[in-house]
Parts: sequence; structure tokens; C-alpha cells
Amino acid sequence: MGSYFTLNAITKSFNGSQVLNNLSLEAEQGELLTLLGPSGCGKSTLLRCIAGLDVMDNGSILLDGVELSTLPAKKRNVGMVFQSYALFPNLTVYDNIAFGLKMRGDRREQIRSRVEEMLELVELSGKRKEYPHRLSGGQQQRVALARSLAVEPKLLLLDEPLSALDAKIRRNLRMELRRIQQRLKMTMIFVTHDQEEALMISDRVFIMNEGQIIQSGRPEEIYTEPSSAFTARFIGHYNVLNRQEMEAVFGLRELAGSAYAIRPEAVKLRPADEETAHGVKAQDDSFRDSSALTAQGHVTEVTVLGSLIRCTVSTGETEIQADMLNDRYRFPIRQGTGVTLAVDPEDCRNLDHGGAIGRCPSYQKNESFTSLSGSRFTAR
Amino acid sequence: MKNKGYHYAVIVLLMVYLLLPLLATLLFALAKDWQATILPSGWTLEWFAGMLQDARFMESLGRSLLVCTLSVLLSIIIMVPTIYIVTVYMPKLEKLLYALVLLPYALPGVVMAVGLIRIYSGGPVPITGTLWILIGAYFVIILPYMYQGIRNALRTVNARELTNAAELLGATRAQAFKLVVLPNILPGIMVSVLLSFSILFGEFVLANLLVGGRYETVQIYLYKRLSESGHLSSAVAIAYFGFVLVLSGLLLRLGKWVLRTPDIR
Repeated sequence: MGSYFTLNAITKSFNGSQVLNNLSLEAEQGELLTLLGPSGCGKSTLLRCIAGLDVMDNGSILLDGVELSTLPAKKRNVGMVFQSYALFPNLTVYDNIAFGLKMRGDRREQIRSRVEEMLELVELSGKRKEYPHRLSGGQQQRVALARSLAVEPKLLLLDEPLSALDAKIRRNLRMELRRIQQRLKMTMIFVTHDQEEALMISDRVFIMNEGQIIQSGRPEEIYTEPSSAFTARFIGHYNVLNRQEMEAVFGLRELAGSAYAIRPEAVKLRPADEETAHGVKAQDDSFRDSSALTAQGHVTEVTVLGSLIRCTVSTGETEIQADMLNDRYRFPIRQGTGVTLAVDPEDCRNLDHGGAIGRCPSYQKNESFTSLSGSRFTAR
Repeated sequence: MKNKGYHYAVIVLLMVYLLLPLLATLLFALAKDWQATILPSGWTLEWFAGMLQDARFMESLGRSLLVCTLSVLLSIIIMVPTIYIVTVYMPKLEKLLYALVLLPYALPGVVMAVGLIRIYSGGPVPITGTLWILIGAYFVIILPYMYQGIRNALRTVNARELTNAAELLGATRAQAFKLVVLPNILPGIMVSVLLSFSILFGEFVLANLLVGGRYETVQIYLYKRLSESGHLSSAVAIAYFGFVLVLSGLLLRLGKWVLRTPDIR
């Protein structure tokens, strides 16, 4: 017995180019999976294949023990929520939600109670007689969600459902969506190109690129342990450095691997100018830990992101992004400020091996950086 | 404010330009005698009375109405499903359909008529001079207008996505079309129908060449009367115009009535 939902070796080409390339994944009942990837990576096509709206070339789709690929869309028991809502403009909110139930031939009483239940679930009971064009985008998408959920599909697909909404409504609605999903224990596949959205609502995230799944895992794993430069860049503004850059910036030698990823929040900054430095409460242990990788540079760009301040630090050839908490301990920073940056080797991910740079046997620090402590490293 | 005055002036000028000939025709149709004066020297309704008493006028009007209605109906029955199916299920064929449908634009009426007469005078389907050849030709003439209107309506309501949504909710293709797509594209169909109807109602070249006196439509009747009496043909022209106006108004009203959204229980 396999999982509740299984995709096996899905392949699809379109006009000679491979849109889905031997793609497989599994989901348990009640899980919310996110397909995360840039536009054109094939994620929407995959959803349409699962729903039966597009025909795939090869592969199998198994949902609760039933092979879907030979069934027409209406028999698959799969619901879908579209980015454009796709509400029926000629029907009221009530009739939109009732549509699937009517098609199924439910009794009038049954339909009424089910629709009322759905209206309550999405908190739109007061709008039952409105037409879709009278509702806001967020309300329309909630109607679309209710309409799909009303017929109790075994799997609900959501194709960038929040992308057309503005930021604040998007945040509220995604938490609501997650709440509804957990309450109903509905198995959902959510497609998005917004990494924040993916990390926030999913049980598991699947990173997609060029028709393939590059990496999958729980949100916290995906974020802290990217396995490729693509994931690292896509998921969290990682600094991705190749070996030459890494060696040049931190004065290292003979590193193993070819590419490394450093999270911007793992890069600690401290003013180069000693006088300013003394005025700052030393909140960063990284500077006291002599195993830290350090480099000198100057700030070329400062962006305030609210709770974070993102600095671009130029260290000779290479630019490194550093995020610092926007609290009262931080030192005054502006364009041109000279800084020392420090990174714990544990926070440098070797993208070839997985795992931190510190765990690689050939990690060696240049002589000019003295007194390396800790048994992990060999000083020369 | 000054700007607004200018806008009004432009609109008034345009109205004058468009309505003046019509007004002159109306005056001429009502004039008893109009020779060397600015305005007619006497008024009469005899031309209208004569027109209405002429059985040929009413008959030809009836024929025109019949030909136009049948042609447009045929076009709706064939084109709406065709364009829908191509747009939603076979988007690859869209270019072909587009090219096909635009052909009549490029074909002058006379050329078309000569070709049609050659083919349909003899052979297996000798229908020249009958109502059927005219309906066939009219169907082709209005293709571009029907196509544009219907296709735009389908695009505007995003028929493809609506159909997908309906099918995923368990509707058959026919149900998806009937319950979801059709009600939403009716305004577009209505516009196409109105446009086609008024184009056909004024069409002369094909009517004259293909059927002529053998199936006298109102256009041909009007043309024949023109040589007999200017006053009478003016009356016919005005009646003709008034008729199209009323018809358009009715169709629009009908459209609104069809589109009015039903209340739910």
C-alpha cells in the first residue's frame, strides 16, 4: 500500500519542450503540500494534469487507490481553485457554491444545509445573495474555495489562489486557508511562486524548476538546508558563492566543493572603526568565537525591511548580503560604513555535499588568520 | 468648462452631419410640393399612405425580415458552438478559423455574386433566384461580425476557465456551456446579432444580383420605386429606417430581458 496520493513519473511535453520531466511525489491524507517554483517551471501544468484539464504524455496519478489518468475531469473527485477565481458571474454566491451539489443531483434540503455550512466556514453568510462582481477579490476567492470544498473533493488543488490579491489580504487569507485546511483535514496541493507563502502554510514544500522537483521537505528544513544553489537563491536570499569567491572573501584555502550558501541573517556585522565598535553592546558571539570566518568590507546599500535591515557589503570583488535585526542595539549604518563581517562556519552550507562547510575535512584557514581553536579545523 | 463646450459643439456638429440627410428625406417624404422654396410649400401624408397601401412594400419587407432572421439564426446556431469549442477545447484551430472567417471581408460582393451564380444556377443545387442562395450568401457575409463579437465575449468572461471550473464541479460539457458560459456571453451574441442584422437589412449588391426581382426584398423594392417617384421612395426610406430603429430597440430590450438575473430562493 502506498500513500494517499501518488504521482509517478509524470511526463509532458508541449511544442517539443519538456514541461514536466519524470516527476514523482507522494502525499499523505490531510497534508498541505506546496509546489514552489518560478513561473514557467511547470507547476501549474502539473496541477492541470492532476485535475484532468490537460493531458499528460506519461505517468500515473493514484488518489486513494484510484488511478486518475484515465478518468475525465468531472469523475476525478479533485477540486480546483483558480488564480482568477473563475466564479460564475451569472450566479449568486449561494448558487455558485451550490453548483457542484446541483450537478451531483443532491436534494434541495441537502444543498441548502451544505451551502450554509460552507458560507459559515468562509464567513460570508451575509453575502449569499450577492453576485460575484459585487465582492472584493478576497471575498471572491473565499467563495471559490467554498464552492470547491462543498462537494468534498478527495484532493483540492490551488493554483496561485492568492496571487491576484493585495499583500495584507493575501496574508490574512493564507492563514485562514491553512486553518480551514486543518479543520477539514483536506489534502491540498498549493501552487505558488511566493516562498514566504510556501514556508508559512505548508506541511511540506516541493521546490520545482524546469519540470522537476529539486528538493522537498518540511519548511524549516527547506529553509535551513538548501541542497542546491537554485533552492538557496529562490528560498531565502541566500548568498551563493563559488569556491574562488569563498576563498577570496574569507581568506581560505583548498576548500572542498564548488559552491556555498550563506544565509544573510547568519552574517554578523560590526563596525570596522574601533571607537564605534566599543559603543555597541557586543551581542554577537560570532566575533568572540575565534573559529568564525571574518572579512573586511564596506556597506554599499542599506534597505530597511521593517524588523530587519538588509545591508549589501562589498568585500573587494564579491558582494555579500547581511540581515541584521532592527533593534536599538544596532550600530548606525549607512552607505560607505566600513564593517567587519563574521560568519560561523556551521552556517556556510556546502551545496555539493549538503551539510556545513565546517564538516568538510579539507577545510583550512589561511595562515594570516591566527589562532583557530576547536578540533574541527586544522590550522596551518 | 470651456473644454466641455467644445466637446458639446463637436457632438452637435456630428449629429447635424448624420441627421441632416435623414431630416431632408423625411421632409421630402412629407412634402406635397417642394420646388423653389427653402421649405416645402405644402404637407401631405399621401406618400406614406401610398406606400402602406402598396401590398408589394409590405410583402418585400416581410421577405427581408425573413431572409435576415433566418441567416442570423443559422449563424448563431452554427457559429456559437463552433467558436466556443475552438476557443475552449481546440485553441490550436483558432488561427485557421480566424483566417477563414475573415475571408468575406476581402471578397467584393460582386465577385462573390458572380461566383455563386455560376455554381448554383445549374448543377446539383440549382438555387439561384431563391431565398436559399441569399441566406447562404448572407451567412458568409456576417461571419466576421458574428465571430468577433462571440469570440470577444468568450475571452472577456474567460470561458475556458469557467468551463474548467464547471467541469471540475461535475458538470458535463453541455451543462457547462448551457449553465455557465452561454448566460455570460449573451450580451456579446446580442451585439453581433444586431450588427449583422442591420448590415443584412441594408445589403443591396448580393440581393440584387442573386435574386433580384424573383424574390423582391425591401432593398430591391426601394430601388425600383426610386425611378418612379422621389417622394414615395423617400417615404419608403424613412419607413425602412424607422423599422430598423424599432427592431434594434426591441432586440436590445429583449437582450436585457434575457440577461436579467433570476432571483434565488
